[in-house]
Amino acid sequence: MQAIAERYSNQSALVKELQYDNEEGLSNDFVNGRSQFSHLAPHIALPPISTPQEFLRAHTDDSQNPDCKIKIAHGTTTLAFRFQGGIVVAVDSRATAGSWIASQTVKKVIEINPFLLGTLAGGAADCQYWETWLGAQCRLHELKEKERISVAAASKILSNLTYQYKGAGLSMGTMICGYTKKEGPTIYYVDSDGSRLKGDLFCVGSGQTFAYGVLDSNYRWDLTVEEALYLGKRSILAAAHRDAYSGGSVNLYHVTESGWVFHGNFDVDTLFWEIKAKEGSFNNVVG
Amino acid sequence: MASTVASEYSNEVKNVPIEHQFNPYSDNGGTILGIAGEDFAVIAGDTRNTTDYSINSRYQPKVFDCGDNILFSANGFSADGDALVKRFQNSLKWYHFDHNDKKLSLKSAARNIQHLLYGKRFFPYYVHTIIAGLDEEGKGAVFSFDPVGSYERSQCIAGGAGASIIMPFLDNQVDFKNQYVPGSHGTERRKAQYLTVDEVIKLVRDAFTSATERHIHVGDGLEILIATKDGVRTEYFPLKRD
Amino acid sequence: MSDPSSINGGVVVAMVGKDCVAIACDLRLGSQSLGVANNFEKIFHYGHVFLGLSGLATDVTTLSEVFRYKTNLYKLKEERHIEPETFTQLVSSTLYEKRFGPYFTGPVVAGINSKTGKPYIAGFDLIGCIDEAKDFVVSGTASDQLFGMCESLYEPGLEPEDLFETISQALLNAVDRDAISGWGAAVYIITKDKVVKRYLKTRQD
Repeated sequence: MQAIAERYSNQSALVKELQYDNEEGLSNDFVNGRSQFSHLAPHIALPPISTPQEFLRAHTDDSQNPDCKIKIAHGTTTLAFRFQGGIVVAVDSRATAGSWIASQTVKKVIEINPFLLGTLAGGAADCQYWETWLGAQCRLHELKEKERISVAAASKILSNLTYQYKGAGLSMGTMICGYTKKEGPTIYYVDSDGSRLKGDLFCVGSGQTFAYGVLDSNYRWDLTVEEALYLGKRSILAAAHRDAYSGGSVNLYHVTESGWVFHGNFDVDTLFWEIKAKEGSFNNVVG
Repeated sequence: MASTVASEYSNEVKNVPIEHQFNPYSDNGGTILGIAGEDFAVIAGDTRNTTDYSINSRYQPKVFDCGDNILFSANGFSADGDALVKRFQNSLKWYHFDHNDKKLSLKSAARNIQHLLYGKRFFPYYVHTIIAGLDEEGKGAVFSFDPVGSYERSQCIAGGAGASIIMPFLDNQVDFKNQYVPGSHGTERRKAQYLTVDEVIKLVRDAFTSATERHIHVGDGLEILIATKDGVRTEYFPLKRD
Repeated sequence: MSDPSSINGGVVVAMVGKDCVAIACDLRLGSQSLGVANNFEKIFHYGHVFLGLSGLATDVTTLSEVFRYKTNLYKLKEERHIEPETFTQLVSSTLYEKRFGPYFTGPVVAGINSKTGKPYIAGFDLIGCIDEAKDFVVSGTASDQLFGMCESLYEPGLEPEDLFETISQALLNAVDRDAISGWGAAVYIITKDKVVKRYLKTRQD
């Protein structure tokens, strides 16, 4: 009888050996294969209609529908660039919903692990959620492979994710910055369209053009660390000044071979007058 | 699909297409506000519940003590808010079952709520959520969430219909924004310092009387929940009912 | 965000004190998110009457010139300056003339009647409905924020110096919560025989 039953069940030897009921039970307990990469992602509920995308847009996209009820925080300036001494990452800290300033103290750099930073632009929740998720994936990689994940691999986990969700309505523009022995200091730009670009210098967000203006005209590869940090800070300040949806304060990070180092939070109010006085710049402003 | 629509004038009968859209949301007004002190935290909320220009209730509390010294309020669409509170309380109960009644820390509660909200990223809860309590060091803490789960710890935050009326006042009176030391000629900022419970309650009452005066969806009553190391205490003050 | 009254951004607020009035505005002129100018004053005066205009910048400029024209004619005809109360009626009727193609502004009138010495303020909607307030009036893209600040900071019967502090704090903290207002501010403190104008140092983001 037992023999007949076994002939009709097509369970693998492994499932039988480990005394699982079926394949699913096994794979739930042991991480094996690609499908388990999205293991920490919960089931995400969808509205019970035929076009969830249109539903989401109608209710959450304030550029399409100014009176939409659910306003998702937007607006940002973030930048990261590679130079002789590693990577500088600088961001502002403002979150807006329409013209309402929802917060002046947002953390737009997400510390994925001691060697990886992610920046946050676009939907605050999308970036915060998926970059913490990315941190978990990176840790799993470390446990399995017994070595730190490369920036290339980490950014690809995220871009694969955003590509899976393409068209669903995620909104994120992020830079994954890190340092590994084999890659050196590396920056990948990943966004919600599924793009993934490696590069030396990126600015992302509503104030990106203002930041590029300052950054491009003063950037050199052989900047000293001090000069580079100042340039990052100064570029964000320029954007905070001109772009209504950027501001609050500047957060500064430096990525080196021994991980990232936080270089302070600077309130734009004090920083602006200090730099104006020191540089003799911002002559459009009196006082 | 076309259909006949009659206005109150019989000569204005028209044949127009009727648009259909799935609209599961409504706005029930109300305002909430969270402030963290040195060794306490409060969440205050008005007790009015509205739809459009109608008052559904003059006393419908929306700030809850969820246990483990966690104060919770989700303001906006009250059905979604209630569902979220229920889901969080359920999650907390399972946490106790699974972990031998271990106390859920406030920052873990915050992360849990992020997952509850983001789990409905494509069909969001239409709420602004605030939680408050004490952190691991016993310091007052407030966390606030957007509808899809991005969150941040802050000293003070307002949410809901009257947020735009209350928030600048809080910036000024709690964080002392735009305040300078007298005689310093605008060179020395007034230092931020912790407020006492009594000072906080005074500010909260002022904030809500102002919001009540200028916002039709705010009023009737003010309920303040105060979390300290000794537990949660509730205070109620009447607001204008017009 | 194609709403005409919030393309350029900006706010105006006025308050009544003891034998004095105050009127204040921010200095930003923007084009949606781009800050264009930080010297766009939104307060004008016609004799001893002050007019603040928030809203669509082109209409702010146009209206300020319309009222210069009209008050000059008034002065020629009447051989005296226009009083705040009279000017308020002039603003109202001028706006209502354009009932079905309005100027997108939120005007605020402030002044002291030169005959009676009574402080006077008034606000309007874009088609000229008068809001005669005894305490304060607000208008512009940060009006919610201003209502909150004024409602909680204001008290009746303030002396000029205290009124200056009150209106300044109200304005400053309100515009700091609005992305498209700020970038400088100007405050007028008006008493019977003196007008003091001060510029405020504000955040530049």
